[in-house]
Amino acid sequence: MTARDNEVRRLRPGTVRTPRSRGGLQPVTDAAYPDWDAVYRDNVTWVYRLMYGKVGNQPDAEDLTAEVFMTALRPMRVSATVPEVRKYLRMTARTVLAAYWADRMGRQITTIDVDVPEADDPAPETGHAHDTVGRLLAHLPDNYRRILELRFLQSFSIREAAGQMGVSVANAKVLQYRALRMAAQSGQEGTR
Amino acid sequence: MSRRIVPRFVEGLLRGQPTARARPDDAEAQEMRTAIELRAARLGSDSPREEFVTDLHRRLAGAMAEHPPASGRAPIGTRRQVVIGTGLAAASAATGLVVGRVLPRSDEQRPPTATADGVLEPNTGSWHTVGAGADLSDGHAMTFDLGSVRGFVHRTGSGLRAVSGVCTHQGCSLWLDAAAQQLRCPCHSTSFSLDGATLTHQLPIAPPPLPHLQVRENNGAIEVFAPTEEA
Repeated sequence: MTARDNEVRRLRPGTVRTPRSRGGLQPVTDAAYPDWDAVYRDNVTWVYRLMYGKVGNQPDAEDLTAEVFMTALRPMRVSATVPEVRKYLRMTARTVLAAYWADRMGRQITTIDVDVPEADDPAPETGHAHDTVGRLLAHLPDNYRRILELRFLQSFSIREAAGQMGVSVANAKVLQYRALRMAAQSGQEGTR
Repeated sequence: MSRRIVPRFVEGLLRGQPTARARPDDAEAQEMRTAIELRAARLGSDSPREEFVTDLHRRLAGAMAEHPPASGRAPIGTRRQVVIGTGLAAASAATGLVVGRVLPRSDEQRPPTATADGVLEPNTGSWHTVGAGADLSDGHAMTFDLGSVRGFVHRTGSGLRAVSGVCTHQGCSLWLDAAAQQLRCPCHSTSFSLDGATLTHQLPIAPPPLPHLQVRENNGAIEVFAPTEEA
């Protein structure tokens, strides 16, 4: 669905305001969506991906995506251009995510930056997730990296992961939390 | 007491459950952030479910018909409304309930067996080591990625079996749900057995089973027969 939409967008380049090579997409700056249905279909995937990247679980990502569209569609001007609509959706997503974390954790765990330069890819951070994690894991000792890969990237249960690594379940748990702590510390130094 | 915050959060995250309320400190918040980053990087995990996209579309159509876009600023939809709407979907997801259709087991509808024509045999191939035999015990599975081909190897009582890790419907990357012993497609909730058979799907036509790859154990190494790398 989205892939096809992207295809269409590539074939109708329109006016290129800020040419950026990533993703091969070009913004259609003067185009507007015909109706809310088109807004939804063209943007639901990136909004969901953005939210999934910020909360890491499907039920919450779905709730938050639903909330973004429920909130944003009604007051939206039909005449708004495609980049304006995307920016508005991204701002709405930021607000929705902030309210979610305030409610769940009393603080912001992850945030959505809206001051990104106008990009072809409305959710640029999703493409970088793998690189970031690769860098994060690269700094860890082997057994730390392995437990995080097994548990987070490959969805092994703690028992399965322990079996793979030849350690007890209790050891695997300890390993996992130490590894996460070390990754968190190195991530903090590494990024901002 | 507060030291349980991160483990509890991580457990829920790895089970795909909605985040529960907690009050983390700075260090804990950073660990949560890292855990989310790691989880979200799982291959193919970030595509919305087709039924979610359809269902939300239906709900939005209802909301838009009830309250057409006004010239003034409409009241902002509350989270409560939204949560009620998705309650069922969220609950199903959290408990791992599969609402997809389970393939009939009757004789006339038996899925095609994937042995005769379902073996991936490249024109020019060679054996590639994907792991150590000792790392893969009976009943376990592991993933491999050789660039040209990626998939999953698992060991059964009768030996090693390897299948492609790409969904036969539209090519999304499957992920290993080790607890359920299944390969799942993030795109349309299709699931395959570790041996490649189509188990559940929500599509009009059952996607074909996953192609097998030749796999062997050689001097303690697990090797998969895959295309020879391009120069």
